Parts: sequence; C-alpha cells; structure tokens
Amino acid sequence: MSRALNEKPNAEPLPTLGSAGVILNGRYLPPPEDKDGKLWVRTSALVQSDPKRLYEIWRDVENAPLWQEQIERVTRTGETTSHWIMRGSDKEKTLEWDSEILADEPGHRIAWRSVCGDSSNAGEVIFEPSPGNRGTMVTVLQEFRMGKLASAWETIVGRNPKQAVIENVRHFKALAETGEIPRTQGQPHGPRGAVAGVKAAAYGEKIATPLGLNRKAS
Amino acid sequence: MKALCWMGTSKVEVHNVSDPMILNPHDAIIKITRTAICGSDLHLFDGFIPTMEEGDILGHEFMGIVEEVGKDVNNLRRGDRIVVPFTIACGNCEFCKKKIWAACDNTNPNAHLMEAAYGYSGSGLFGYSHMMGGYAGGQAQYVRVPFANVGPLKIESDLPDEKVLFLSDIFPTGYMAAENAQIQENDTVAVWGCGPVGQFAIASAFMFGAARVIAIDRFQERLDLARSLGAITVDYSADDLSVLDALKDLTGGIGPDSCIDAVGLEAHSAQLQGVYDRVKTALMLETDRPSVLRQAIQAVRKGGTVSIPGVYGGLLDKVPFGAAFGKGITMKMGQTNMHNYMKPLLERIEKGQIDPSYIISHRIRLEDAPEMYKVWRDKKERVTKIVIDPWA
Ligand SMILES: NC(=O)c1ccc[n+]([C@@H]2O[C@H](COP(=O)([O-])OP(=O)(O)OC[C@H]3O[C@@H](n4cnc5c(N)ncnc54)[C@H](O)[C@@H]3O)[C@@H](O)[C@H]2O)c1
Ligand SMILES: [Zn+2]
Ligand SMILES: [Zn+2]
Repeated sequence: MSRALNEKPNAEPLPTLGSAGVILNGRYLPPPEDKDGKLWVRTSALVQSDPKRLYEIWRDVENAPLWQEQIERVTRTGETTSHWIMRGSDKEKTLEWDSEILADEPGHRIAWRSVCGDSSNAGEVIFEPSPGNRGTMVTVLQEFRMGKLASAWETIVGRNPKQAVIENVRHFKALAETGEIPRTQGQPHGPRGAVAGVKAAAYGEKIATPLGLNRKAS
Repeated sequence: MKALCWMGTSKVEVHNVSDPMILNPHDAIIKITRTAICGSDLHLFDGFIPTMEEGDILGHEFMGIVEEVGKDVNNLRRGDRIVVPFTIACGNCEFCKKKIWAACDNTNPNAHLMEAAYGYSGSGLFGYSHMMGGYAGGQAQYVRVPFANVGPLKIESDLPDEKVLFLSDIFPTGYMAAENAQIQENDTVAVWGCGPVGQFAIASAFMFGAARVIAIDRFQERLDLARSLGAITVDYSADDLSVLDALKDLTGGIGPDSCIDAVGLEAHSAQLQGVYDRVKTALMLETDRPSVLRQAIQAVRKGGTVSIPGVYGGLLDKVPFGAAFGKGITMKMGQTNMHNYMKPLLERIEKGQIDPSYIISHRIRLEDAPEMYKVWRDKKERVTKIVIDPWA
C-alpha cells in the first residue's frame, strides 16, 4: 500500500505521533481532523513526468518562488537548511522562517519542518509511479500549527493554508508538465465594477500567480 | 484596442482597453480578423453563468494573424493566419494525452472555483467567466492566446475567413455532437435547435451515415436552412403539435436512434413546464431550464443515445432519469474536444464538402455588437449567425 497515504506527515519528529510511518494495508484513512491546534492538509496530483525529475524540481528549494505562491526568496543556509521569506498579498507584510529537511530520499521523498520563525509547519512530499505508468503520483502532506500564527498567516497570505497547499501543488504540476503556470494577471479588461476587488479576492485572483519558468522544468 | 465587454446582465459595451501582452512562454498575440457571437454568449448575456465580472472581454470564436509569439512557441510565426479553438489545452497532461482536451488540467488559473462547483475543473475557455479561467476573449481587435503551441490551426490555403472561422467552435461542436450520438449507418437522428450548433450537428449526422435527420425549432429561417441540408423539419410551436408524437409518427413508433440537444439551458417552452422552470430559476431552486433535455430523453428509442452539445451549467430539476434508466440509453455530452476535429474538418472544407459560411446572416462592426446581442438573443431580423469584423 502506498506510503503516501499515511495519516500525517512523516516529518513529525515528536514521539507522541505513533501513526507516523504506519502502512495502511489497503484502507484509506483521511488526514485527521483539525485538533490540538493543528491543521492537516493532504493533496495529490498525477503528473506526467518521472519521479526523479519531479523530486529534483521540488528539492531545489531556492527555486520554490517560481512555483509557490508568495514565496519571495529562499536561501540555502546549509546542506539541509534554508531560510524562507513570504510576502503577503498586500505587498507589505512578510513572514519569515527557517526550514530543515528531515528526510531526503532522492527520487522518492522529502520531509521537512520549520524550525523557528513566523510559520510553524511540517510537511512531506512523496513521488511514486502511478499504477500502469500513467505518470507520477505526487502526494503532499502538510501540517500547520494553528493559533495566532496561522490566522495571521491567513490574513497576510489571503488563502487558508489548506487551499494554499492545494494551489501550490497545482502550480507545481502545471510547471512540470508544461513549463509554465497558467495566468491571467496582466491581461486587458474594461472598466471594473464597484465590488470587483472583493470578487477578485474571493476568486483568489489577487494572489500573484508564481512566475513559473523553471530551468529544470522545461 | 477596442473590445466588447460584459458590463452586467443584458449589458455589453465596446470599450477602449489596453492591448494584450505576452504573459507566458507559450502565448501568442493575434490580430483578430474575424470573430463571431455564439449561442453560448447568450448564457453570459442573460446572466445564467456565474462568476462574470464587469469589464470582462467576451468572445471565444475568432481567427486572425499572429502578431507576436512567446519564446517557447515554435510552430507559429508572425504573419501566420490561424483559427483558435475556444477551449485552451496544454497538450501534456493526462487528459490532453487521452485527447479529452476540454478536460485539460493545466489551463484554468481559477480551477479551484470549478472544483468547488463540479468536483474537478475543465480546461480554461476564452471569454467565458472567471470560473472557466477568466481569460479575456476575442470579440476585440487583439487577443492573447495561451498554449499557442498546441491549439491554433494554421490556414495555409487562401480560403476566406468566413469559410474557416467556425472551426473555432460551432462546426467542431456540431460534429462532436454527431459523433457522440453514436450514429450507425441508416439511423434516424433528431436534433433540437437549428441554431449554428444544430446546423452543424445536422450536416455532421449525415456525414456519419444517418439516413434521416429530423430538425426541431420554431424559427422559419432556421428550419429552412435545416431543410437545405436535407433534414425533415418540425416546428415545435405549431398549434396542437406534440414533438414526441411527431417523432413517433416519423419513426414507426420506435423513436429516433439518437437525439441531439443543441439548445441547452435556456430552452424555450410554451408549455406548463416552461412556467415551472421559470418560477424555479427565478427562485434560484433551479439554475437551468432543461425542457429540451427532458424531451430528448423521453423521445429517444430504447437503447438509443442522447448527445448533448447544448450547455448546462448547474442544477436541473425534473429530469426523467427513470425513463433514461428504463430504456437503457446512453448519454454523452461536454465541451467540445476541439483539438481533435479542427484539422479533419478543415480538410472537408478544403475539399469542398461543406461551406460553413452558409449560416451567416449578419456581418457587423464591433460598434454594432451591443445592439446585435439583443437581436441575437431575441432571434429577430431572421438572424442565423453574426460575424464581426473588429477593424471595420
Ligand atoms: N458543447 C460545446 O462545447 C458548445 C459549443 C458551442 C455552443 N454550445 C451550446 O449549444 C447551444 C446552441 O448554440 P447555438 O449557437 O446554436 O445557439 P442559438 O441560440 O442560436 O440556437 C438555439 C436554438 O434552439 C432553439 N430552441 C429553443 N428552444 C427550443 C425548443 N424547446 N425546442 C427546439 N428548439 C428550441 C432556438 O429557437 C434556437 O434556434 C447553446 O446552449 C450553446 O451554449 C455548446
Ligand atoms: Zn461558442
Ligand atoms: Zn492538458
């Protein structure tokens, strides 16, 4: 059974999480409900590429701003550590944190967690060939510690963490499959109405679509 | 440039807007030479499709000359003459590989909106609401075409625009409707709606070997065009006429082998169910008026096929699913997988097997479009298809 269907990210270093690493023997289990101030997100995408190439795009953390929303810059600070800067949709506020890779299986899996800063998250991505060679299943599990930090995160970022993870995986897939991320920002339009701003925000159109153009993607 | 903008229900206006720019490596910018108004545009005009915004540029049937290409477009050059499919497809995802281009995974920047409504998102479309991508459309002087490496069809012969323009939507749509109808040699096919989509569905049904096509509408000019293609016509508005009885009478009591709903969610109905649907849609308990779909399901023979090119957007009430199940019918539908049909249908045009321009009744300037949207909606002036020259 797919390891990607673990309940929680294997990134969790805490011993209290007994289920990390459990093989599910054919049962599908949803990610746990939000509890203990934690929010779990699981999403997956079928990507027409091989696990090795996808792993490389993901692992190249300094390239993350090309496909992850609102990530302004990522700087490698060591073999497994990096510093992340995210800028809110208002263009003013930033969130910063350090991240550490806990598990790195080339061509197959990466797990990480934030170590300190404005975002408390842990995540895992697994790349597996899909049955019948229909592409690579990319499964992402991410955990956000909620509370003040996360709600500030949501206001600044303009999406809830769950949707942000889903959108980033969507961008990753588009970039890997086509070499670009679909966008409409910057196209012409006629005069907008009074509530256009509110609606654009509701449609998620105020969040800048990441640039795409990954050298490894094309 | 000048562009036709949606400004609210029943309100479209020509505005001066900025010229489109290349935004992605597979984009191209097209100078539009001809564009058309589609029956689908009426669903936007009439406010049936959610997530339209004031200022959105309409139009998804267009062709023109390549002005500029992005750095990864290798198949097109400035000066090429192309017809652009109204569905945008990436060419590389699982669905494009399966040739279900209208289900492309990678072309709707607002996929989450469609996921919320439909479970999964289809491809982006030009000028067709934010839920379908929010792309600026082509009832304008210029347009940006994403994935220009995949969609556009180059026209290398000197066929006039009017003969090839409808490869952008309605000809392939009518053709796919006939293909979806699973027509066997000598079948009888009934087509509801003799608008442009119905016309090409009728013509295509004959191409697939139908012995008889029964065409249903109420506008004489449209029924005339259908008869010119060889169809038998039924005016559903005639006094005391029951479409279901007519179809039984014409098929020895068996019913048509295939029924094609080329009308969609704004079907007109003179009967009681019309009132029912009007009240329900007004109360938001129902979003679409499926009176033709109900008839088509009712009319089709046992084990027959209902093909639905007509657009539906939301919730339908009182669809006779028991009849569908009881007769064991097949239903096929969806946005047209444009990319499969453009080339083969261009070949048919080049060989002179069909001249799609026969449906054109009005040739107009962009400035006339706001007025003509109303004519098109009300089917006045014997209108059968409106083509716009945005530079006239
Ligand atoms: N599937 C696709 O990809 C696709 C592409 C293009 C158009 N469409 C859809 O196809 C449909 C038709 O498009 P069109 O351009 O021909 O539009 P149109 O509005 O010109 O034609 C519709 C025709 O249906 C007739 N009609 C209305 N009520 C009827 C009834 N009860 N019985 C019989 N006929 C009836 C009208 O008189 C009209 O002639 C629309 O819903 C449009 O959105 C779908
Ligand atoms: Zn159309
Ligand atoms: Zn695709």
